[in-house]
Amino acid sequence: MSTPLIIEYLPILVFLLIGIALAVVMVGASYIISPKNPDAEKVSPYECGFEPFEDARTKFDVRFYLVSILFIIFDLEVAFLFPWAIALGDIGLFGFWSMMLFLGILTIGFIYEWKKGALEWE
Amino acid sequence: MEVLVVFLPLLAFLIAGSIALFGGPKATPSAAGHGHGHDHGHDHHAHGHDDHAHHDDAHDDGHDDHHAVAPPPTSGDRAAQFVTSGAVLLSAFLSWLLFFDVAVGGHPRTIELATWIRSGGLDVSWALRVDQLTAVMLVVVNTVSACVHVYSVGYMAEDPQKPRFMGYLSLFTFAMLMLVTADNLVQMFFGWEGVGLASYLLINFWYEKPSANAAAIKAFLVNRVGDFGFALGIFAIFVLTGSVQFDAIFAKAPTITGVTFHFLSWDFNGLTIACLLLFMGAMGKSAQLGLHTWLPDAMEGPTPVSALIHAATMVTAGVFMLCRLSPVFEYAPSALEIVAVVGGLTAFVAATIGFTQFDIKRVIAYSTMSQLGYMFFAVGVSAYGAAMFHLFTHAFFKALLFLGAGSVIHALHHEQDMRKMGGVWRKIPFTYAVMWIGNLALAGLPFFAGFYSKDMILEAAYASGSPVGRFAFALGIAAALLTAFYSWRLLFMTFHGKPRMEKSVYDHAHESPITMLIPLGVLALGALFAGIGFHQWFIGHDRAEFWGKAILALHEHDSIEAAHHHLPGWVGIAPLVVGLIGIAAAYIAYIQIPSLPATFARLFKGLHQFLYNKWYFDELYDALFVRPAKALGYGLWKSGDGALIDGVGPDGVAAATRDIAGRASRLQSGYVYHYAFAMVIGVVLLIAWLSVFG
Amino acid sequence: MTAVFPDIWPALPEIFLAVAGMALLLIGVFRGDGFTRPVSYLTVVVMLLAAILAMGYGAGRVVTFNGMFVMDAFGVFMKVLVLVSAALSVILSLGFNEREQMARFEYPVLMLFATLGMLMMISANDLISLYVGLETQSLALYVIAAFRRDSAKSSEAGLKYFVLGALSSGMLLYGASLLYGFAGTTSFDKIAALFAGGAHASPGVVIGLVFVLTGLAFKVSAAPFHMWAPDVYEGAPTPVTAFFAAAPKVAAIALLTRVLIEPFGHLTAQWHQVLVATAVLSMLIGSFAAIMQTNIKRLMAYSSIGHVGYAMVGLAAGNQDGVRGVLIYMALYVAMNIGAFAVILSMKAKGLMLEQIKDFSGLSKTNPMLAATMAIFMFSMAGIPPMAGFFGKLYVFLAAIEVQDYTLAVIGVLTSVVGAFYYLRIVKIMYFDEPLVVVDKVEDDGMTGILVVTSLFTLLFFVAPAPILNGAAAAAAALFAG
Repeated sequence: MSTPLIIEYLPILVFLLIGIALAVVMVGASYIISPKNPDAEKVSPYECGFEPFEDARTKFDVRFYLVSILFIIFDLEVAFLFPWAIALGDIGLFGFWSMMLFLGILTIGFIYEWKKGALEWE
Repeated sequence: MEVLVVFLPLLAFLIAGSIALFGGPKATPSAAGHGHGHDHGHDHHAHGHDDHAHHDDAHDDGHDDHHAVAPPPTSGDRAAQFVTSGAVLLSAFLSWLLFFDVAVGGHPRTIELATWIRSGGLDVSWALRVDQLTAVMLVVVNTVSACVHVYSVGYMAEDPQKPRFMGYLSLFTFAMLMLVTADNLVQMFFGWEGVGLASYLLINFWYEKPSANAAAIKAFLVNRVGDFGFALGIFAIFVLTGSVQFDAIFAKAPTITGVTFHFLSWDFNGLTIACLLLFMGAMGKSAQLGLHTWLPDAMEGPTPVSALIHAATMVTAGVFMLCRLSPVFEYAPSALEIVAVVGGLTAFVAATIGFTQFDIKRVIAYSTMSQLGYMFFAVGVSAYGAAMFHLFTHAFFKALLFLGAGSVIHALHHEQDMRKMGGVWRKIPFTYAVMWIGNLALAGLPFFAGFYSKDMILEAAYASGSPVGRFAFALGIAAALLTAFYSWRLLFMTFHGKPRMEKSVYDHAHESPITMLIPLGVLALGALFAGIGFHQWFIGHDRAEFWGKAILALHEHDSIEAAHHHLPGWVGIAPLVVGLIGIAAAYIAYIQIPSLPATFARLFKGLHQFLYNKWYFDELYDALFVRPAKALGYGLWKSGDGALIDGVGPDGVAAATRDIAGRASRLQSGYVYHYAFAMVIGVVLLIAWLSVFG
Repeated sequence: MTAVFPDIWPALPEIFLAVAGMALLLIGVFRGDGFTRPVSYLTVVVMLLAAILAMGYGAGRVVTFNGMFVMDAFGVFMKVLVLVSAALSVILSLGFNEREQMARFEYPVLMLFATLGMLMMISANDLISLYVGLETQSLALYVIAAFRRDSAKSSEAGLKYFVLGALSSGMLLYGASLLYGFAGTTSFDKIAALFAGGAHASPGVVIGLVFVLTGLAFKVSAAPFHMWAPDVYEGAPTPVTAFFAAAPKVAAIALLTRVLIEPFGHLTAQWHQVLVATAVLSMLIGSFAAIMQTNIKRLMAYSSIGHVGYAMVGLAAGNQDGVRGVLIYMALYVAMNIGAFAVILSMKAKGLMLEQIKDFSGLSKTNPMLAATMAIFMFSMAGIPPMAGFFGKLYVFLAAIEVQDYTLAVIGVLTSVVGAFYYLRIVKIMYFDEPLVVVDKVEDDGMTGILVVTSLFTLLFFVAPAPILNGAAAAAAALFAG
C-alpha cells in the first residue's frame, strides 16, 4: 500500500477538527445566548473544596487526601480492567488468572485499609 | 658425632637463654662487677677464703663496697653454668676424637643436614664439612671455649646475670662452629655474622657502662665494613664460578684466572678482585691494619670474652677463611701479595703500639693483633700450614695470657692499669707461673708453642724469595723484638718491682678460685706442648698427608717446602736472638733502671705520643668518616627530614586532609534542592565528559 | 496470540516472599500491634526460608516470564546475601522498636516487601522488570525511612529520600526510554545480542546508559548522587539505617553489575569512565568527608559511600575477577556493617540511645566486650589484615591492577589510608579516652547473637574463606557465561 504515512493520521485530524469546532460552538453559544449579570463569586475560577485564593500552606483534612488516594488506586484498577476485558479472548486462561491474582492482591490491600480504619471518616 | 659437636652448644645456649629469660627473680644489672674500682672480691679475702662463690652472702664488713651486693647464685645460675659448661666440655672431648679420626687418621667427610636455599642457580645447603682444616678449628674452638666456660664460672661468680653470660658464650661457640664447619660461603657467612652478633652482645655485656656500649657499637660497625666486603666477595665468587659451594668453587678456580670485571673504564682481574673483597671481610673480623680499631676497645667486655672471642677464636676466623679458600687464593697471586703486606704491617704496627700501652688487657689485645698479622703474612706467602699452626698454638697461649690477666685483674679487684700493679708474684704464684709460660710461648722461646709456629712463619716468609716476602720477614723480625719486649714489660710491671697499688688492695690480693685455675693449667699445657707435639703434622714432613686436600699450595708457591731446604742459617736463629734481646731490654728498663722508660719517653716525646695514641687511627677515622657522616646525618635530619619530608609529607598531608574534610562536610547543606542540583550537575558532567572524550 | 503459562519455579523465592508478606499483613492487621514480635519472627523465618529456596536452585541460567526474569548462580549468591542481611536487620530492630515505641507490625512486613523488590532487582532481565523491582523496593524504603512519624528528623529523612529518589527514578526511566528508543528493545538479552553483533553505540544509547547508571548510582549512594545518604542515615531510626546500609546496597550493586555486564558488557569502553569517575569520587568523599563527623550514623553513611566506591573499583575492571571481587566485597561489607550497627544499637545509657562518636569514649573500660567487638569492625573496615575487610579490598584492588587500572588502585589505597584514620580514631576513643557515660549492658539475646556471629566472621574469615570465595567465583562465572 503506497498510502503515505500521514494519511493514516487523517482520522485523528478529523477528530481534532470536530473537537475544536464543538468547543467553539459551545463556548460561543453560551457567550452569545446566556444572560450576563456577573458578580465576584460568579467570575472567580472554580476549585472544588478549596478557597481559590489563599496561602497554599493551609491545613486541610488528611482524611480527604487519604480517601482520594484510595479512590485513585481503585480507579486505576478499573482502568486496567477495560483493556483486559477487550483482550480476554486473546490472552486466554493465563490472562484471566493474572488479572484475578492482581485483583486478589488489591483485595488484600483493601482488607488492610478497611481493618486499619482508613475508610472511616470519623 | 659431628652433629653433636656443633649443636650441643646451641642446645646449651637455648637452655641458658631460657633460664636467663624466665628463670627466677630478675637481678638488677647495676650489681654487676663492672670495671675499675668495683669489686667484691677483696672483702671475701679478708676472710681468707679462696672460692668466694660460696659465701657471697657473708660479707660486707665496712669496706668500700659501695654498691648493691651480688645475690648468691641461684639454682638457675647453677643449672645454666652446669649445662653450658657440660655441653661445651663434651663438645670439646668429641672434637679431639674427631681430630684424631679426621685429621690424623685422614678421613675428611661432609654431612648434609638440610637444603637451605634453592633458587635458580643458587643451591645452598646446611652441611657440616669436617675435613682436616675444620678438625683443627674444632679442637681450637671447643677446647678454648670449654676452658673459658669453666673459667667464667669462677670469674663471673659475683655477676647477677650468669645465665645470660653463659648463654651468650654458648651461642658464640655454636656460631663459631657453624662458621668452621661450613660447606659453602653462605653458611660460613651465617656463622660469620653469628659470631659478630655474639661478640657484640658480649662486649656490651655490662650494658650499663657507656664505654662498653660505645665499644660494642664500634666493633659492630667496623665489622660491617669488612662484612660488606665479604658479602661482595661471595657475590663475586658466585658470579665467577656459579656456585657458593666450596668443592665446586675449588674445581672452577684454576679455569677462571683470566676472567676480568669491567668497571667504569678499567678492567680488573675477577679472581683478584673477589679475593681482595673476601680478604676485606677477613681484615674486619681479624682486626688487620685499617679495620683494627675495634679490637682494643672490645676489651671492655669481660675478660673471659676477650680470651675466647678476641684472642683465640673469632678474630682468627679471617685466617681460617683464607686458608679454607686457599685453592682460590693460590690463583690470585696479586691478592696474596697484598695479604702479605697488610699482615706484615699489622704485625709491626700493633707491636709498636703494644709496648707503650698501660692497660694490661690492651697490651695483650695489641699483641693479638700483631700475632694475627703474622698469620696473615704467612697466608700471603702461601704458608697456609704455618698460618694454621700459629693459629693453633696462639689460641692456647693467648687465651692463657688473657685468662691469666683476668686472674690478675680479679686478684687486684678489677684493676687493669699496669702502673698500679707490681710485686704481686708472691701473692698469686700460680697465675705468675702460667703468665711466664704464656709469654715464653708468645715470644717464641725454644720448645714453647710459639717457637715452632712463629719461626716457621718467618722462615717461610724469607724463603718465599719474593720482595713482598722479604718485606714481611723484616717487619716480622722487628715485631718479634717488640713482642718480646712488651711481653716482659707486662710481666715485670705486673708482678715485679714495688707494689704501686693502694696498700689495702695489695693486702687483699688473692689467688683465684679453683674453677679459674684449672682452665689456666689446661691452657698452660697447651702453650707448653702444642708446638712440640704437633709441628710434624702441621708444618713438618707429615704435613702433606695431614692436610690432605683441605689446603692447597701450588708447588712454585710452597714456601714451607722452600723453608725446609734452602735457607741461610741465620734466618732460623734470628727470631730467637731478637726475642732474647727484647727480654733483656725489658729487664734492663723495668728491673734494673726503672727510670729509663720515662726518660726515653721524654727524649722521644713525639714518637712516644704517636705510638701511645695508636698511630692516631681513631682520630683519623673520627675526622675522616665519623664527623662528616654525623654532620651529613644531622643536616639531613634537620633540613631534609624535618623541614622537607615531614613538612610536605606527614604534617602537610595531615593539614591538607583536615582542610579537605572540613570543606567536604560543608557541602552537605541539608537542602533537598542543593542535593537535587548536585545530582543533575553530576549527570550533566558525566554526559559532557562522555560526549567530549567517550 | 495466546500467552503460554510461564515457568514460575525460578521465581519461587519471590513468590513465596510475596505470598508470605501478604499473609503476614493480614495476620498483623487482624491481631494488632501487640502481635509485632511474632510477625517479626515470622518475617525472619520467611526470609531465611526464601534464602533456602534460593539456594535450592541448581546451576545454569534460566530465563522466564517472557524474558523478564532470570535466575542463575549470580542471582543465588546475591539473593542469599540480601535475604540474610535483611533477616539480620529485622532482628536488630526488635529491641529498638519496642524501646522507642515504634513497634508496629507493618515494619517487618514493609521490610519483607522491600526485600521482595530487591530480589526482583537481582533477577531483572529487562528494563521494565528492573524498574518494577526497583520501585517495589524504594516505595517500601521511603515509608520505613519515615517510620517514626512523630520525629521531625525521621520525617525529614523519609521526605528527602522520597523526593530525591523520585528524581533518580525519573532519570532512570528517562534513560530506559532512551535506550528503548535507540536500541529498539527493553530486553537485556536482546540488547546484549545487539551489541555483541557489533552494533555501533549511538550517543543516544550512551546517554541513556548514563541516565540509567545515574539512577542506580543513587540507589547505591555513589558520589555524586550520594548526598541523600548522610541526612537519611542520620535521620532515619537506627535499625532502618542499618537495613539501608546493608540489603538495598547489595541489591542495587547486584543490579548495577548485571546491567553493566550482561546487556552492556560490550560497551565497556563507554561505561568504564563513568564508573571510574563515580568510584573515585565516592572513595574521596567517603574518606574525607567522614573525618569531621561527630555523629556515628552520619559517619557510617560516609563509610558506606566509601565502601561502594571500593566495590565499584572492582566493577570498573569489568572482568570476571573484578565481579568476583565485588561480590566478595559486598558479602564482607554486609557482615561488618551489620555488626557495626549492632554495636551502635547496643550503645545506650539508662535506656537512651547514644549516637555521638564521643559517647564511645572509654567504652573499653565500661564495656570491654562491646569495645572489642567494635574495634574488630573498625579494623576490618579500615582494611587491616587479617580482618575480613582487608580481603575485600585486596580482591577489588587486585582486579583493578590486573586490568592495569593503576590510578584507580592507587587512589583506592590512598583513600583507604585516609579512611583508616577515622575508623582507628573510634578505636582510639574507645580505648584511650576517659569514659563520659556508662553504657548499658547488652541484654537482647538476638543482638548478642548478631554481635558474636558477625565479629567472629569478620575476625576469622581468613581461616576458612573458601565458601565465600568459591560462591563469589561461581556467581561471577555465571554472569560472564550468560
